[in-house]
Formats: sequence, structure tokens, C-alpha cells
Amino acid sequence: MPDIDFFNFFRWTLAMVVTVYATLITLQSLWGWYVWLAGSDKYVGLLRRYLVVHGLRLRFRTFWGDVLICGLLSVAFLILLRAHALIHDIEAKLNYVAPHVRSH
Amino acid sequence: MSRLTSDPTEQKLLPDVGSASGAAATSADALATPAPEPVVVAPRPVSPGVLPPPRQLSELPRDELEHLADEYGLDPTRYPTRQALVAALHDRRQMIASLDRDALLDVIRWGRRPVTAGAGKEQIAQEIARIRSMRFSGLSHRGLLALAKMRGIDAREDDPVPVLIRKLKKKEGFFSRINRKRRALLGSLVARAVGESGASAEYQFLPPDGADVSSGASAATGKRPPTIKEDIEESGLFGGITNRIKKTADAYLNQKLDEVEARIDRKLDEIDRRLAEWRDKEIANRLKILKITLWVSLIVGVFSLLYSYIKIYLVPH
Repeated sequence: MPDIDFFNFFRWTLAMVVTVYATLITLQSLWGWYVWLAGSDKYVGLLRRYLVVHGLRLRFRTFWGDVLICGLLSVAFLILLRAHALIHDIEAKLNYVAPHVRSH
Repeated sequence: MSRLTSDPTEQKLLPDVGSASGAAATSADALATPAPEPVVVAPRPVSPGVLPPPRQLSELPRDELEHLADEYGLDPTRYPTRQALVAALHDRRQMIASLDRDALLDVIRWGRRPVTAGAGKEQIAQEIARIRSMRFSGLSHRGLLALAKMRGIDAREDDPVPVLIRKLKKKEGFFSRINRKRRALLGSLVARAVGESGASAEYQFLPPDGADVSSGASAATGKRPPTIKEDIEESGLFGGITNRIKKTADAYLNQKLDEVEARIDRKLDEIDRRLAEWRDKEIANRLKILKITLWVSLIVGVFSLLYSYIKIYLVPH
């Protein structure tokens, strides 16, 4: 059976491709917004304050269901990570013990 | 406020009544005196410490004095010389300063003139000088007294109402009365022709300066609009009709402006609502993407765990 760790592969792919791509795009977009909203024009100032007000008017209750699910999924993800660590530890110990068992 | 001064910040101040009373001469005395007591026209202090030189009534040109006299309800043609006019103006201002402010406000309410509740005595008096009405019903005794004094009648405090009214009517003069009656008749004819009802509302003072910038709207809401009959009786046929057309146009414009304002408000609310929807939708989308990523990670994790388990326990090396 080939020695492939799908989880590691997936995680690295996700980290290398998706995370880097998303971070770059997000940073680029944020920088563009920052430069535009940092203008000293009267109407830009007005828009800036308006956006701040809109941000403050955001209600957590609107998204609390999705946020809760994301939190639970993150917890499950951490448990799986721990399970992988344990099973790899078991594998390493078995690999260490196996030659000694065979020789006896 | 007088329009004579070129500087809008300038204001003509009355001298102190108490101190000036001794120096104040009557019109007859003033006519006899070659150089009447000059009335100081002090400017309103624009900033502390900076005071332009004072102006005097006697320094004003004849036409400006006549205009000022007209605003105070004086007939400038009755005063042949500048000195007499200045003295008469001085007397008139002294008389206004001595009048009770509440009595003046009574006249304003009765005459339905557009004045703020905090207006000064001179401003109120100038508005009263424009009132030509001879229907005194609803006017208090003190108001009637103030009106009589403003119309140049020698009225005393203890004069009863009928006496005051008789003096006022006597002061009006025969031809003026005939003209007024003629205008009233014309006004009632026009009012009947246009089918106007005489419904009236309670008088209200104008809002103070700065409370509402649209003076037209303030004037429209601040007082009961006079009937066309009253307009014609007071200003003549053309003046009355012009006033009415102007007021109707003002009211129409105000109504249209209100409609435009309401439409703009609705649009702004709509934009605000759409922006809030867009914001919520964007956040929901981001959360959805995060959720999908977590689900896929979990599935791959579980699959990988099973694969490792099988690899270690079921298919050992």
C-alpha cells in the first residue's frame, strides 16, 4: 500500500495555493480601499464616516448561525489534527518495534 | 431693520430713554430749534475693540431720511426741512422706546404681521407702521393704545376703547376711508369671484433666525394667510392680487421643494438599505466559503485518518 498522507497533502496544497492567493488578493484590495478612502476630499471623508457607521450597524445576530457552525467545524478540525498526530505516533512506534518482534 | 445703511451689520440704536428724555424735544420745539439734538447712529460692535465712527441722523441725506420716516409710519411730506424731519424721527423713536413691548406684540398678533417673538421694539414698530387695517376687533386696549400712538394720535392711558377707535377713525380722514371702503368692496367682489372662504387660523410668530433657513416656508407657516379681500383692502386691487399670486407661487414652490426633498430622502433610504443588504450578502458569502473549506478539510481529514488506520493496522508491512 503506497505511503500517502492525504491530509498533509491537502493541507499543504490549501496553504500554498488557496491561502497565498486569498491573502494576496485581500491585501491588494484592502490597500486599494485604504488609498482611496484616505483622500482629503470632503465627499471621501463623508463616505469614510458613512462606511464606519455601516460597519457599526452590523449585527452579529444576522450571522450567528454560520459563525457557530464555523467554530464547531474548527474544533472538529483540531480534533482530527490531534488524531492524526496520535496515529502517526503509533505508526512510528510500530515501525520501531516490528524488527525486534521479527527477530524473536 | 432699516435698509439705509450700506453696512448690513450696522444698527441704529436709540439713545437711553431716561437720559434723553430731558433733551428730547417735541416736534414743535424742534421746529423752533435751529439745530436739534443729533441722534447717534451707533454701529453694532462687530468685534470687541473695533468700533467704526458713529453716524448721526442729521448726516443722512434727505432721501434716506424720508425713507426712514416712511418705515416709522411718518409722512415725510409734512416736514419741509431736514431739521424738522430729523426731529420728528427722533421723537418717533423716543416714543417707540417708551411703548410697552407686549402692547406692540398685541398689535402684531392682531395685524398678523410676520415677526419673530424675539424681535426688537423698532422692528415691531416698523411692521406696525405697515398695518393699514381699520378693523379693531380682537385688539386689546393696550394694543389699541400703542397703535393709536404709532398712528400719531394723542391718546392717553385712560382713554376707553370706543374713544380710541373714534380717534383712530377720525385720524384716518374722509378720502382715505372712502378709498378703503372702495378697496374692501373690490376685495369682496374678487373674493366672491374666486370663491375664497374666510377660514382663519391661530396666529403664530415666525421662528427665530437660524431655526429655519427657508424664510418663505417660515412665512407661509408662521401666520394665517390673509384673505384676498383683506389683501385688496390693504394694498389695493393690483397690490392685493400681486401679493396673492406671489404667496400662491411661494406655496406651490414650497410644496414642490418638499416633494423633491421627500423623493431624495426616499432615494437615500433606498441606497442605504441596498448597501446594507449588499454588506450582509458579502459577509454571508465569505462565511459560506469558509464553511465549505472547513467541511472539505474535515472530509479529507477523516478520509486520511481512515487511510492511515487501514495502512497501520490492517495492512502492516
